[in-house]
Amino acid sequence: MNKPGIGTCSVLALAISLFSVTCSHAMSGREVYDKVHEIRQKALDHKLEATMVLFDKGGGKRSRTLVGYGKTGENESYKVLVVFNTPPDLKDVGFLIHARSFAERDLWAYFPEYKRVRRIPTTSQDDSFFGSDLSYDDFGGPSNLDDYSFKILGEETVDAKPCYVVEVTPKIRRKYTRYVAWVAKDLWVHMKVQYYQDKELYREGYFSDVRIIDGIPTPFKGAMENRKTGHKTDLAIENVQYNTRFPDDLFTQRSLERAGK
Amino acid sequence: MNITNLLRHISLKHLKLQKAQLFIALSGICLGVAAMVAIDIVNRSVLRSFEDSINHATGRAVLQVAAGESGFPEKMLDVVQGVPGVEYAVPVIETNAKLSGGTERAVMILGVDVLQDHQIRDYSITDESADIPDPLLFLARSDSILLTRSMAEREGIKIDQQIQVQTVEGIKTFQVRGLLNPDGPARVAGGDIAIMDIYAAQMAFGKEGRVDRIDVSLLRGEDFDKVKERIQGAVPEGYNIDTPAGRTRQVEMMLKRFQNSIGFVSLMVMFVGMYLIYNSVSISVVHRRKEIGIMRALGAKRGEIIRLFLGETLVTSAIASFIGVGLGLVFARLSIGVVAQSVTDIYMQASVTELAFSWGELIRDGIIGIIASLAAAAFPARSCARITPISAIRSMPYSEDGFLFGTKIKIASAALIILSFTILIAYKMAGNSSPLRTSGTTFAAALFLTVGLSLGTPLLLKWFLVFFHRYISPRLGAPGRLAGLNLQKNVSRNAVALAAVFFSISLLVSSVNAMNSTRTSIFEWIDSVIRADILIASGHPLSIGAHGIPMPGEMIKEIEEVPGVLTVEPFRKGYIYYNGRKVMLETTDIAMRMEYCPGMMAEGTRDDMVNLLPGQDNVVVNEGFATKYGVRKGDSIVLPTPDGPVRFGVAGIVVSYSSDSGVIWMDISTYRKRWHDNLVDMYEVRVKPGQDIRKVSGAILDRMGGERRLFALPALEFRNEIRQILDRSWAVTYAINTIVLVIAGFGIVITMLASVLERTREIGVLRSIGMKRSQVSGVVITESVLIGAAGGLLGAASGLLVGWIELEGFFRIDFGASMTYHIDYLSLAWALLLSAGLSALAGLYPAHRASKINIVEALRYE
Repeated sequence: MNKPGIGTCSVLALAISLFSVTCSHAMSGREVYDKVHEIRQKALDHKLEATMVLFDKGGGKRSRTLVGYGKTGENESYKVLVVFNTPPDLKDVGFLIHARSFAERDLWAYFPEYKRVRRIPTTSQDDSFFGSDLSYDDFGGPSNLDDYSFKILGEETVDAKPCYVVEVTPKIRRKYTRYVAWVAKDLWVHMKVQYYQDKELYREGYFSDVRIIDGIPTPFKGAMENRKTGHKTDLAIENVQYNTRFPDDLFTQRSLERAGK
Repeated sequence: MNITNLLRHISLKHLKLQKAQLFIALSGICLGVAAMVAIDIVNRSVLRSFEDSINHATGRAVLQVAAGESGFPEKMLDVVQGVPGVEYAVPVIETNAKLSGGTERAVMILGVDVLQDHQIRDYSITDESADIPDPLLFLARSDSILLTRSMAEREGIKIDQQIQVQTVEGIKTFQVRGLLNPDGPARVAGGDIAIMDIYAAQMAFGKEGRVDRIDVSLLRGEDFDKVKERIQGAVPEGYNIDTPAGRTRQVEMMLKRFQNSIGFVSLMVMFVGMYLIYNSVSISVVHRRKEIGIMRALGAKRGEIIRLFLGETLVTSAIASFIGVGLGLVFARLSIGVVAQSVTDIYMQASVTELAFSWGELIRDGIIGIIASLAAAAFPARSCARITPISAIRSMPYSEDGFLFGTKIKIASAALIILSFTILIAYKMAGNSSPLRTSGTTFAAALFLTVGLSLGTPLLLKWFLVFFHRYISPRLGAPGRLAGLNLQKNVSRNAVALAAVFFSISLLVSSVNAMNSTRTSIFEWIDSVIRADILIASGHPLSIGAHGIPMPGEMIKEIEEVPGVLTVEPFRKGYIYYNGRKVMLETTDIAMRMEYCPGMMAEGTRDDMVNLLPGQDNVVVNEGFATKYGVRKGDSIVLPTPDGPVRFGVAGIVVSYSSDSGVIWMDISTYRKRWHDNLVDMYEVRVKPGQDIRKVSGAILDRMGGERRLFALPALEFRNEIRQILDRSWAVTYAINTIVLVIAGFGIVITMLASVLERTREIGVLRSIGMKRSQVSGVVITESVLIGAAGGLLGAASGLLVGWIELEGFFRIDFGASMTYHIDYLSLAWALLLSAGLSALAGLYPAHRASKINIVEALRYE
């Protein structure tokens, strides 16, 4: 099954590039995304601690902290486990991704109060990730680039960083009809992204504080706003490690039930 | 002269002069159409509310898998999802709850798998269709609940506010995690719906590991019937696989008897309206016979005269029908609440928030009013055309006796009455499975009988007057004799007024007696099965079927410990599927029931109930079930249980009026063993001898009331409330009866006015030779009372028979032969009094007109 994914502001693929790539020729959109893809793949093997703050349209604010673990497998396969630590109501709530390829993956969630692991239907990967303005997909790994078409719209500077402006259009039906991404030329991470439903802008994200960790460019701050609902989510990475090489049994449903312990 | 010119120059002038009469005639048509429109709209609105609820609640599901109210194991979800061709199979728990505090609003709880439910229903907790600040928290916490925006506004509830809800586990506090926009399931039950995650709903409503329903969507291009067959093959026998439309049909079938009985009455209204039109046109003929004579003398053809009268009727009935449609909308608005409440009391929760009607139907009802008017007007119009010009110009008395006393009418009357009795005999002799055993058959018998008797009213009036002259009039003096003679002058016209009274009184007597019979039978049955002193339930004990919340089975021990309690008997009921149709399964402690309740057996003896005791897979069924499914004592039936089909022996046939879908009784321990359901809908408590029932009931509430909201109702109050519910369910019928009586009253007014007009000269003569105004009034009122009395007598007698037919067709057919006919003798006395009183009242205005006649002008009148 073709399972889409876009990871634009991904916690896992919080963008990145090991080396600055200087382009001596005009790049195509696909070439730009090959670079982005390469950085994301490298970032898959990781552990991170982050704080997510949700703002509702009335000004209400809800904070939560989480820990995420990732591991790459053979070919395009990878696994991700995310566990919430705070607030107490959400402690040990977690979710697990098993991707057999960049196009095919399974998702499960665990809720301690019910002591149940629940499967999340794969078709809802564009849905909001539990009330945040990020989608399940944003928490996944790199996407299958063959599922999209790319077009360079121009070049602009964002946050003092020169960027390619690329229009990405999914070939299969998604919640959005296209998105426009501002990809930093030297880092191959998103600095800004705008999702459109036809001509209407419905989601917009900004990324900043890009640091190089273990050679991987990582934006430590990100914000995504849903223009339709007025909701906004800030994400701040507090700590990140790459090349962690966690064992496979960290990414099982049993481990999900034990909050990765 | 063409018809338009005739209408403009002749009819309009006439109508302007006879405003009062025109108003009365218009009122009759208007009320008839209004009653028909109101009933159509109310019926449609109730059904539409169920249909909408089902559609909104089912979304894109094309099939639904269910197995009765107790639900079935959730593992069946994987079985259904695994069936080839199934796209999504999502679980649903649908249950009732009640807000504790505030308005104590009844709320439907929809427990769904919120992570995948948007595949079927039009909403998502994580997108813009809902305002849920923290969906993760909603999913993670079992106290999470979503309300509709409309209900939250009505109740003044805000997001993050805590609310208390009455559940199986007692009063529980839930946190409102968000509000749903009025789309998809948020429109169910008029917005009185709350959505919970399925696992939270399982915990809150004692349904761990079970679901009530699986909603299924199919992969594109899959053959519906084949997938349905595959699902049926994959799940155990007894599971019901139906479409959402099928569920609507089941509701429709459930409400059919209720709606049929109202529909029957609405048809009667139209009939009485037709009497009024007939009379009105007849009077118009009387008024204008001279004018007609002149027109005929000037060359107008008979056809033109007929067209003139029918044209007038067409125009006036069109106006009246138009007003009637508007009035019908008002009636519908006024009565919808009562009907919805009755449906809720008897069948299921009905939330009718708006009137449902189609313009097509309104136009159809208006056209029926016009056609009925034209049909009624056709007879006098035809008679009028037969008036010879010479007799009209000379003002020779006009009478339709020739037509109504004709042999054809007599034969028709006798034939219809004989046909009616033949149908009834055939119905009684037909076997239970015969196609004749339908309410349609009894309806036809009642209709033929009533129409047959109506056609026979001229003859009856003639006989009545013979009796009157021989035995009564000598005691009433000259005015009495005059009244009798006057009625004799135009028996046909007076017979039509009599028929209207007959019809309305017949309707009234039949309704009262059918209701009295159901009420008496129900009370005899209740007395035989409820021998408790106190009934305890989470909601009102009467509403346990509609919006009750069951209680845990373990509560029995706590109630038994309350001082003064002698015994506690648990009672659980719910629908299961038998042969693809819903039947009521009632369970109780049979040993206790045998000890305390006499019970009513239709086949077998009370000793047969021993076979129901624990450890034996036996049941008893009610007469309705036995008749519907051809089951007898000693047979066996296979019932669907969550573990698969189980064969149960039928130990006897009992009397039970719990449901018209058929009732099965079994011991509660057998039920618990087979259905794994430990919940109880009602506890029936008996107190120790000498104990004060109210004190014991108070002690139970004190002990348990902190954990849950309980109703402890003394059995006596329970019976009173049942009486109220039954009365309420007949409220619409009584309202229509009242309309019919009013129309019949109008009929008498018109008849008497015509009679007075026709006898203007005669009254003048009587006045000139010394008759007092009061005596003239007395004569007219006596005539009116005589019509009323004759109509009342015939109506009361036929009403008794029609009441029996109504009971047979609308109740005994579903509930069994044990529902016997109980005559309410008082209703007969009231009917006679009412008919005489109404007639006297109706005679007042014509009597006043007669007494005010100027002697000189009257003597000049031709």
